[in-house]
Amino acid sequence: MKKFITLIAVFALGLVIAQTASNLTEFKENISRQKVEAKKALKPYRYDGSKVTYFNFKTYKQVKEVEIYLFNNTDYRFSFNGKSLPNDITIKIYDEDKTNADRILLKEADGIMGNNITIESSELDKVYQKEKGSDRRLKRVFVDYDIPGIPGTENKKPTMKERGAVILVMGYKY
Amino acid sequence: MTKAAFQLLIITLSSIFLLGSCGNSEPDDVNVVDIDTTDENINVDMFASPDVDYHLPSPLQVASIFKKSGLEYNSGVTNDISNVDKYNKELYQMLNFGVYSADMAYCVLNEQSNEGRKYLGVITDLAGEIGMEAVFENEDLMNRFDANIENKDSIEILMIDIHERTEEYMEENDMQHTSAVHFAGAWTEGMYLGVYDYENNGNKDGLGAQITEQMAILGNIIKGLKDPKNAGMELGWVITDLEKIQSTFDNFDSVVAYYEDETADELTLSESEYEELGVMIKKLREKIIKG
Repeated sequence: MKKFITLIAVFALGLVIAQTASNLTEFKENISRQKVEAKKALKPYRYDGSKVTYFNFKTYKQVKEVEIYLFNNTDYRFSFNGKSLPNDITIKIYDEDKTNADRILLKEADGIMGNNITIESSELDKVYQKEKGSDRRLKRVFVDYDIPGIPGTENKKPTMKERGAVILVMGYKY
Repeated sequence: MTKAAFQLLIITLSSIFLLGSCGNSEPDDVNVVDIDTTDENINVDMFASPDVDYHLPSPLQVASIFKKSGLEYNSGVTNDISNVDKYNKELYQMLNFGVYSADMAYCVLNEQSNEGRKYLGVITDLAGEIGMEAVFENEDLMNRFDANIENKDSIEILMIDIHERTEEYMEENDMQHTSAVHFAGAWTEGMYLGVYDYENNGNKDGLGAQITEQMAILGNIIKGLKDPKNAGMELGWVITDLEKIQSTFDNFDSVVAYYEDETADELTLSESEYEELGVMIKKLREKIIKG
């Protein structure tokens, strides 16, 4: 009897693992498709790379930050795809990282869940130059994803439905 | 039935019930599988990104920016492809994968496609050594290169494809930590090509500004090299040399003055500072390519 139960337990566990792997595979496949979509929105800018930011929604607010370099008076376009988000988040772009209290908010965007949006470095430069009162262009920007707290979520043991990702694809004018 | 066997039966029946529910539910409910309750080894958190992350530019973008800044093609300056035979250790294979990637971008952007093709060959060989053969295993890359060898735009698009394939492969195979090692090689080579041209072709202002601009990336390259997953690769000397370059640069009078003056538009180093930086870059590059 004990052997039989053990066998069933192992079999059931195998099925659960397979189901989980299947969910993860589907999630990854969606990300790949959404990256293609984000890349299309870059045109006519030339693709330079991507950064997928993964996170789990929790009961409290989180911030994930990505630093991006901007070079030699080159114009850049950033394409954000939020189609793997189960809840909305806010994208905030700053001139400095989150340890700097005096940093300048260059752009804020909501409503990314289910959408693909693009932002160009020229519009960020305009805000920066106005705030600074100089012609100096941005050398780097910090993209912050403000992830809101979601009541009732599992903080320690996140489930698949609490999992989200933002795909950021970058391109430059050549 | 013993207590342990009874507990096992409860877990089993719960698991079967959970699976049964998944099969009959609406799509939204399919994902409600608390995997940690059934197997502690599977944790979705393993895919959570770090709180602070960064994106490094592709070798093609770096080469493109250098070219726009006035960098000229200098024949014989890139790392000779015959050196590839010296790279028997993983660290040198990874560093020189980056060096050759920068060299390929440099050749292609300067319409030296035949040279670029040779670099694609050594990059493919090194990729095989460092576990990335799948990125290059499809013969169509070389065929596409050959078919478009006279068309610079098509070759550049091919390079973007290679970069994207590499990026995806590394993400899928949890190899992203090694990208900092490739990038350290590519960065050093890019800086070397810039320094060489700056020293030999008339101290162009735009190029000098670009060399200093590329210094901004260095902090994150060092951070990437220090990733605990890279431990065991004997990266100590690379990190030490890069940190020395970083601290020397940060203490240049021109750099200190630039960061103190918010109205300053561009950072320009003095001749002696360029020279000091150039010496350090050349020494590091020599250590990397000698294998």
